[in-house]
Amino acid sequence: MELQDQLETLQAQGIGIAAISYDSVEVLSDFATRRGITFPLLADDDSSVIGDYGILNTVAAEGVGDNADDPDVQADVARYVSVFGASQMIVGTPYPGTFMVGSDSKVTSRFFEEFYRERNTTTNVMLKLGVGLSPIAAVQGETAHLKFTAYPSNTTVTVGTRFSLALDVEPGPNMHVYAPGAEEKGYRVIGFNLDQPEIARIEPVAYPESEIYYFEPLDERVPVYQRPFTILQEVVMDADAQAEEIMSNLDALTLTGTLDYQACDDAICFLPQSIPVSFTVDLDMPDRQRANR
Amino acid sequence: MRKINQTTLAFLLLICSVGLTLAADREPIVVADLGPQVGDQVPDFQLPDQFGQMHNLESIMGPNGAMLLFHRSADW
Repeated sequence: MELQDQLETLQAQGIGIAAISYDSVEVLSDFATRRGITFPLLADDDSSVIGDYGILNTVAAEGVGDNADDPDVQADVARYVSVFGASQMIVGTPYPGTFMVGSDSKVTSRFFEEFYRERNTTTNVMLKLGVGLSPIAAVQGETAHLKFTAYPSNTTVTVGTRFSLALDVEPGPNMHVYAPGAEEKGYRVIGFNLDQPEIARIEPVAYPESEIYYFEPLDERVPVYQRPFTILQEVVMDADAQAEEIMSNLDALTLTGTLDYQACDDAICFLPQSIPVSFTVDLDMPDRQRANR
Repeated sequence: MRKINQTTLAFLLLICSVGLTLAADREPIVVADLGPQVGDQVPDFQLPDQFGQMHNLESIMGPNGAMLLFHRSADW
């Protein structure tokens, strides 16, 4: 399980962890032994806590109930339960997702997907929360204007994985690069421009808050970054049968494109730059191994 | 009398059609709206882990909070 790899980072941040599912203690024990999991996997075998949290997947029960043949129910089953239809096995499961809570037990953020096969990876959730990560498989570069490190949140992805390409940027002394909003003034906003892959969806880039830079020669106020910052480019692996078929014949996915930006100092505005980048992530098919019962 | 009957009939038909409309309009599911939202307190729990040890929110909680992951199953 991916989370086990990030356990130390989370614990170092003082964040406790538990994973909750409807499995029995026996099933969880077997799974934890097979996968070397040390953090608590909690057995909610009557789904009562899942119910208390208000996230019980009620479509699963409908899909095996009296209205199973209703086309609207079937449409919801395909979206929230399984493209292969509902089965008794799925009754009692939650809508999968993650709650981050503060030490006062109040929710600070939550990550749930509308489509059951798309999942946030733990590292992606951690990147979005600004919890530090040690970059893996990083691409590093330095130009006349800035230093950057670009890395995927995960080195292995599967059907429906939502992960991020993170870009840490450190502008050079007295340099600034342009943030969203600066395009209205004719500047190139920093960001990835990735080629559309066949089996994944490229999401809009998530930017941190920028600051307003006053450029006196033009009496202009422009949103910029002057201090180190991180942008996140999310990518969602397709989850349909066709994508699964394509992925089963591939070992890895390479995302190619450019990192585009424009930098200026307090006197000179340099030409927009376009740096070729590529990221390769391994492809893994979903774990179909079962516990012995 | 005949007129009242017609009115009653029309009224009954109206009720029936409203009923049918309600049955056909399935409430869309918005997962983002389900369960505790940002700022809400999460419910406490008492559950055993894979070693049989009992946990509640307090025992899971780190000094800076906790991450609670809900999975469909560890097994499939």
